[in-house]
Amino acid sequence: MNIDNTASQMRKGVLEFCILSIIKQGEAYPSDIIDKMKLANLNIFEGTLYPLLTRLKNAELLTYRWVESNSGPPRKYFLLTDKGADFYKELENTWNEMANAVAALTK
Amino acid sequence: MKQVININFQGSVVPIEVSAYEMLKNYIESLSRHFAAEEGKDEIINDIESRVAELFQERLKAGATCIVDEDVQAVMNSIGRPEDLAGEETSANTQQQNNQNTNQQESTYSNTSGKRRLFRDENHKIVGGVCSGIANYFDIDIAIVRIVFLILLFSFGVGFIPYIILWIAVPSSAVQVIGSRRKKLYRDLDEKYLGGVCSGISHYFGVNVWIPRLLFLLPMISFAFRFDDSDYGFFPNIIHFSPSAFIIYIILWLVLPEAKTTTEKLEMKGEKVDMNSIKESVTEEIKGVQERAQKFGKEVMGVASEKGKAFGGEAKSVARKGGRSLGDVIVFIVKAFAYFIIGVVGISLVISLFAGGIVAIRYFSLKDFLITDGWQNFYTWGVLLFFIIAPMIGIITWIIRKITRVKAGSKILRLSFIAMWIIGWLSLALLGASLSNDFKHNANINEQSLTLSNPTINSLEITDHLPSTRYTRKRWFNGDFFDNVIDEDTISIRNVAIHIIKSPNDSFKVTTIKLASGSTRKNADSLASLINFNAFQQDSLFVIDNTISINKTEKLRNQRVILTVYVPVGKRIKINGHVGRTSTIRFNGPFSVNNGYDEFDNISFDNVETGWGDGTWYTMTKDGLVTADGKPANYNDDTNFRFDENGIDIRDGKSSVRINENGISVDDNIKSPDASNGGTYRYEDNKPKNKYDSIKINLDKAEQNFRDSIQKEKDKIDKQVESGIKKETSSLYKLLPGNLLMGVL
Repeated sequence: MNIDNTASQMRKGVLEFCILSIIKQGEAYPSDIIDKMKLANLNIFEGTLYPLLTRLKNAELLTYRWVESNSGPPRKYFLLTDKGADFYKELENTWNEMANAVAALTK
Repeated sequence: MKQVININFQGSVVPIEVSAYEMLKNYIESLSRHFAAEEGKDEIINDIESRVAELFQERLKAGATCIVDEDVQAVMNSIGRPEDLAGEETSANTQQQNNQNTNQQESTYSNTSGKRRLFRDENHKIVGGVCSGIANYFDIDIAIVRIVFLILLFSFGVGFIPYIILWIAVPSSAVQVIGSRRKKLYRDLDEKYLGGVCSGISHYFGVNVWIPRLLFLLPMISFAFRFDDSDYGFFPNIIHFSPSAFIIYIILWLVLPEAKTTTEKLEMKGEKVDMNSIKESVTEEIKGVQERAQKFGKEVMGVASEKGKAFGGEAKSVARKGGRSLGDVIVFIVKAFAYFIIGVVGISLVISLFAGGIVAIRYFSLKDFLITDGWQNFYTWGVLLFFIIAPMIGIITWIIRKITRVKAGSKILRLSFIAMWIIGWLSLALLGASLSNDFKHNANINEQSLTLSNPTINSLEITDHLPSTRYTRKRWFNGDFFDNVIDEDTISIRNVAIHIIKSPNDSFKVTTIKLASGSTRKNADSLASLINFNAFQQDSLFVIDNTISINKTEKLRNQRVILTVYVPVGKRIKINGHVGRTSTIRFNGPFSVNNGYDEFDNISFDNVETGWGDGTWYTMTKDGLVTADGKPANYNDDTNFRFDENGIDIRDGKSSVRINENGISVDDNIKSPDASNGGTYRYEDNKPKNKYDSIKINLDKAEQNFRDSIQKEKDKIDKQVESGIKKETSSLYKLLPGNLLMGVL
């Protein structure tokens, strides 16, 4: 059993949840998301983030708008759709249940 | 000092160092391969590029004059290399991948359906996965491919070479599926002598560069060291020259791509370049995040309706798959059959070219004796190089390139191969015309008597050696015309035929007719007169040369000698088994004069005795040659002892014994071929004294003859098989790239 493997799987499961929750707080630019996750000590590569965002967008959970930038090409700012908000709620419930369960079990 | 170029990157101009640009390009390419299976691949790549452009702009705004290697490194660290990304997101996929291993063939298909490539199939391999890979590629049953390869391997050993080449040249499916550490075979142009093939191989197998060089060089120069089993002194044994290493080198040279970019060089050396590890089976992403999210919810909350939905979707895809395979089954078979036919034609073409090449090299030593200097020599080289070797290399290269899709062969290369082959055909035609002109005219028939020291002797034995000589050359015509008969500037050919004719008087007489072909009759006559043929009589022996020696200036032009022995009636003659064989070296069909007719010259010989064999004493009668027991030489033995549906029938003169289902019956007065001759015998002692005894004797004799002939045949076959096997194995061994195999192992 590889510890890295298990850890990354655990992380992976909550990654989408985390991203959705960051975006829920307000439109976000991918590097903002990275920075926020870094602050919370959850380091991921941008290369991992972009595909995730695209997938979520394709699943109509997210949408984006272009914002002109003075430091390069226009940026994509992501925001939650209604569907995404519902999806997030369900994930949140699940997460709370699981967090409680894990907390209770690991006490 | 580094060169800086400007690139238009995501809408803004970025000055960047060439090396950094190269790195960036490779990085983007590796990402694009990494996300190949992703639904929104282009979008992802575009997003990443935008982000990279932004980071570059920040660098430039901060005062950098251009983007350097370190900047690209920093970008790669921030965004992540494919290997980093793999650790983050694909770990969960491994399980799924394992589940899919069962129908991996199919999944690799569907992933790459637009652009099918040949891979060695790691999952169904026995040796290197080449056969299963080919079967995969052509949609043929793997068993067929294996059988074809096995037949090729065991019949000629030819299947071996392409297998090894394909093994090396074709990438493994493991690379594609698992994204393992990837090493590729490239030509190394930095350390090259010729084409960098050896250097590339050494990188691939991680050995010192001298090892493959030596392995390639040894078979090529080995003939220089191989004087031992050459019977003709220090003449380099060209028969043992192995061109296979050279041919393989050329093929590898043409097939292998050169390592040009940094990435390719790294790949060549096998250092970890996971940027390029293709991950086409990042399958989780294909289904999309929605499904995954649904599963997530489903597992925890147990929403039954969504389960049903997923199940329905699966069932639908299964049904679709089934319909597809049913509909395509006919196309499938037709396609497989067509490929099979094309394959067989192609393979046999290559084999025949190979065989031609081997034959040409095997009889290369004959060249100087057949081909005149100047134009003919020139044409011969043209045929060898352009008619045999060039298309052989061309076809093999083309096939491999086609299958592995290395890259489209350049037009110039293809045209030059075609041009070379045309030159080859031209050379062949010119050589044929030139040679046939040299054989156009035949020499005049000029019969010369040989002096006999004692022409009135009672019996004469024609032999090629005195009884005191204990050695003779026996191997003339064992499939190796010239094995023992060529030395540096003369060739000994066995074109001595013997005629036996009834002498008009009571003394022996021996004559020779020397014949040859030439471009003119005069030319042919002079070549014929140059034939040196010696003979002398010693008591009852008449010793002759068993071969004609021809030197390099005379050339082989159907030189031959017909030795005619005039035998007086009542005297005996024996032809030693070593001389006067009918199998002789001719360039125009078999040279058989025993039937009294020389097909080649349209010479008809009258009164020539027929049917005699060598090693037997014959007596000349007024009706021709008879054996010691009174049978004519051309008498068919079968009539003496016959075994057919009527039973066993034994005849001797006028008597016959018949054994069949009615029992044994004896007939004392039948009509037999002998009876028509009057049944008289020149020698009384040959006459049967008692017919039943003689029947018995004849029976024994027939049986013994039968046994002898069978034994003789058996010995002959044994000998042939033995020498054949020896030769075959040795030449096979030399032909095969055993050294290469050793390298692989």
